[in-house]
Amino acid sequence: MSNTKAVGSVASSSKPRKTRRPASLDKRKANAGWFFVAPFVIGFILIYIPIIFDSIKFSFHEIDPVRTGGYTLTWVGIQNYQKALFENADFVKTLVTGIQQLVLEVPSIVIFSLFIAVLLNDKIAGRAAFRAILFVPVILSTGLISSIEAQNNLSEFMDASEGGIDDGTGQSAAAQLSAAIDLEALFANMKVGTELVEYVASAVDSISNIINRSGVQILIFLAGLQSISPAIYESCKMDGATTWETFWKITFPMISPMILVNAVYTIIDAFTAESNAVMKLIDSVYSQPDGNVLSSAMAWMYFLVVILILAAVCGIMSAFVFYQRRD
Amino acid sequence: MNSQPAVKKETKNKIRVEFDRTPLKDRLKAKFGNLAFYTNIVWYIFRFVILLGVSYVVLYPFFTKIAASFMSPEDFIDVTVMLIPKYPSLDQYKAIFLENDYISAFFNTLSLSLISAILQTFVSCLVGYGLAKFKFKGNALVMGAVILTMVVPHGTVYLSMFMQFRYFDLFDFFGLFESFGYTGIIDAIAGNGGVQLTASYWPLVILSATGLAFKNGLYIFMMRQFFRGVPDELEESAYIDGSGTLRTFLQIIIPLSVPMMITIFLFAFSWQWTDDFYTNMFISTNKIKLMPDIVGIPKSLETTYAGQELYYSAINNTCGLMIIMPLVVMYLFCQRYLVQGIERSGIVG
Repeated sequence: MSNTKAVGSVASSSKPRKTRRPASLDKRKANAGWFFVAPFVIGFILIYIPIIFDSIKFSFHEIDPVRTGGYTLTWVGIQNYQKALFENADFVKTLVTGIQQLVLEVPSIVIFSLFIAVLLNDKIAGRAAFRAILFVPVILSTGLISSIEAQNNLSEFMDASEGGIDDGTGQSAAAQLSAAIDLEALFANMKVGTELVEYVASAVDSISNIINRSGVQILIFLAGLQSISPAIYESCKMDGATTWETFWKITFPMISPMILVNAVYTIIDAFTAESNAVMKLIDSVYSQPDGNVLSSAMAWMYFLVVILILAAVCGIMSAFVFYQRRD
Repeated sequence: MNSQPAVKKETKNKIRVEFDRTPLKDRLKAKFGNLAFYTNIVWYIFRFVILLGVSYVVLYPFFTKIAASFMSPEDFIDVTVMLIPKYPSLDQYKAIFLENDYISAFFNTLSLSLISAILQTFVSCLVGYGLAKFKFKGNALVMGAVILTMVVPHGTVYLSMFMQFRYFDLFDFFGLFESFGYTGIIDAIAGNGGVQLTASYWPLVILSATGLAFKNGLYIFMMRQFFRGVPDELEESAYIDGSGTLRTFLQIIIPLSVPMMITIFLFAFSWQWTDDFYTNMFISTNKIKLMPDIVGIPKSLETTYAGQELYYSAINNTCGLMIIMPLVVMYLFCQRYLVQGIERSGIVG
């Protein structure tokens, strides 16, 4: 982790010059690059590294509380990691199911939010109102409001007389809608494969979950769509392209950098949400006796897995992302 | 159509000309008689219905909350009351407004959110630009660090983060690398005290200014992806005209990234506004009232009445509504700028 600094200093002193010449353009550009990222690098080294350093260190130790109110650390090497992997029955299982679920969820969230963002980008009656409404999930996704929501028993009462179909999360509203149409029966004869039909049907069933988790993504896509130059669309129209063609030939490539952002964000959001099964497991292990070191070992393994998945996704998607520049 | 239009009447600034107009029938036929017109209508309705449906799913949980916020305690024990209160009252709003210090919480949170949102937007812009447009050794490493800060949830490093700011001491970090025997928390307490930065805005300001605050990695990543899509020709022409790196950034790049910056500002602002994790951790005193502090039952509404539990939960929901209301208003105001950046962007030719 301290490599960041070392690499930097190597970069800036690698070619000692006897005669004083103005630095080459490449080197000046590299220096300018360091200037721009300086705020983050300084903060990362001075504040962030010590913070995560502590946490990583704990995962290699055993903590013994001392009666006087402190604790001693004993070095145990990778014992905590072995425990997490081989002795804890749930960890690996939860991890695998978590990843499976993620593979299903991420595409539906990204596709849905791109779809809605494209709809919201066109001129339509009440666009401002729709945008404001779809901004609400962004606010609701964090701390304060969700903690108020957690102790909310209002809606149970309000709808009790309707037969208790509503749990106040909007889930039931969507479920009612989708139950009214038997989707699987509708698409069963389309010969696209039962897996695909089941996937779409399950996505429709959890539509309220998808909507509430795609607020951030919609806004990111909207901003991306706004920065596509209208001149491109105009020339496309002049050449007689249909809306469908324009979407695939212009909008899609131009928005692809933001698709990568949203895929990465959705993965991270799904993995580190407090409602995630693995995060819950780590939390519950933390409160067990002797569990805090084990939980930090689990957490670090978990983050490693997440980073590996992210690297894979980035690697695959980068091949398809279009940047309007020469490389 | 073939003859020269005949001038009927001409004054200084008006001219009336007689010309052959296409007959109304043909004009209507040209407008409505083609498939494209109907496809557009169908598409328009389709879009509208979809957006309406999505909005309904988002807003559905709010119906009961908004209805309950106008109810008085009597309504909660009346079985015939569903959504429309029989005894509507503004008591809940009034009490929260006056007794829970809504005004001071509002302005404190506003200043805190503004400071950190502006800082975060600007810093993410800087860092994102540096990562996108400059090739230097360690670029990929810095990007990896950005991703790492996104992946590790701050809840996991709660304790060490608190300690970092409770005993703020930059030089401690040298000692940290000198010996592995740095026993974390104990040493920090026993060792030289450092500066206590908690119970002030400083921890959040420092985190924002260094791009480490809540979800800041996302903003940096967004900016980087956006800048990578900006054609290099723009900067090259600025360089050729003799503009320096910083000036190019401020005068050429910043103006065309307005939609992105507004989006980041919105995220940063509203997440700081509704944040209770950092504010509880760093600013947990009674001196500075913030939004989380207004959630509670006002004195004048305390009751031992039958519907107590429901009434209290309704009051909490009303607090929530009052917290998000300013954000929605701000968003309505800001979303106009989400369409403004386009005219400036892009290269011609």
